[in-house]
Amino acid sequence: MSRIRNLKAVVISAALPMLYLGGVSSEAPTCLVFVQDAGAVVGAPLTPVSAAGVARRTTRRVVAAESASTQQQQAATAQQQSATAQQQSATAQQQSATAQQQAAAAVRPPGAPPVGAVVSALPAGCKPETKGGVEYQNCGGVYYRAAFQGNNLVYVVQ
Amino acid sequence: MKPTLRRRFATALSVSCAMAAIAGLPAVASAQSAGIAPEAKQILKASTDFLASQQRFSADTRNTLEVVLKSGQKIEFNSTGRQSVQRPDKLRADRTGDLVEQVFVYDGKSLTLYNPQDKVYAQVAAPATLEGMLDFARTKYDIVAPAGDLVYKDAYDILMDGVTEGVVVGKAVIEGVLCDHLAFRAPQVDWQIWIQEGSQPLPRKIVITTLDLPNAPQFSVTVTRWNLKPTFDAGTFTFTPAAGVQKIDFVPN
Repeated sequence: MSRIRNLKAVVISAALPMLYLGGVSSEAPTCLVFVQDAGAVVGAPLTPVSAAGVARRTTRRVVAAESASTQQQQAATAQQQSATAQQQSATAQQQSATAQQQAAAAVRPPGAPPVGAVVSALPAGCKPETKGGVEYQNCGGVYYRAAFQGNNLVYVVQ
Repeated sequence: MKPTLRRRFATALSVSCAMAAIAGLPAVASAQSAGIAPEAKQILKASTDFLASQQRFSADTRNTLEVVLKSGQKIEFNSTGRQSVQRPDKLRADRTGDLVEQVFVYDGKSLTLYNPQDKVYAQVAAPATLEGMLDFARTKYDIVAPAGDLVYKDAYDILMDGVTEGVVVGKAVIEGVLCDHLAFRAPQVDWQIWIQEGSQPLPRKIVITTLDLPNAPQFSVTVTRWNLKPTFDAGTFTFTPAAGVQKIDFVPN
């Protein structure tokens, strides 16, 4: 993936742009890698003609600013995921069950992100795997599933 | 807990008059801190009423989005879009650009978000009217439909919510069309709109300046073509996934 694509991947998926404000990395070999590590500040919704969208973005930012840490936000995200599972249809529940079986069966690598965490871009070296008709990305033993969060494509840790 | 839109606007900021860039214009200078000029309201209302009265239309747009890097450097991304609307219950919006290729389809029963390059789509049942669907998409899923603000029948009230100042800057030409240039201020957001002069007061350009982010990034939309008598084909407002396109979930709010 080129650097520009890396940058784009971050910006495209900046559904939670403010979440990255707390996670500034000091490792900045190049400008664009720095951007990927630190996250870009998105100045407007990725949607034309929406003053109300700016309001939404601002609201989201306020929420993020009120949170004490990224971990709390991740916990909140995990709760969202939990809520998602509850609301899903029978088919989706089967998928969820499949994912849980996978989680139970697979030994999670040390340092793996928490289940339910949402990331804007996949780590390097992922391979697609289809299980139960659902496509997952296997990234070094950690499984991710694509989802839309707002208008943005994200990946949810399974 | 998520603050409501109104609560957010209620958190009033004492924003200083920062219209230095155009302070030389008499109309602006005299209207500073003078609230909302009646003429500005009038022109905007005429535009939103006109659009609300259009049963079918499409608009081609050219959009720019500024992104501020941690270093403070601004990077601009460009995209083009087409919004197709058929009241009371059909909408399609296509966007293609540096950042994303996305199709938003509402057929009166469900809304679909489709990223052709990523080969994924998600679909959810939606309310039976455009306005209901837009509210639903925004509150339940954080999905903002392109051009959504203007599609609402009460677009004027939505746009003017929280606005503290408004002026008519003067005449301007956008894409070769003579327009009235309006500028409004609300807490944390400045926005400008260019509205076609004459019997068809269509919005021709909108610029949104976000004041509470470093370096106040801007988002702009220019309508390159309005079509008030569009021909929509059978597939315009329906979504049929192509082979190999994967269905994924929405993450609700």
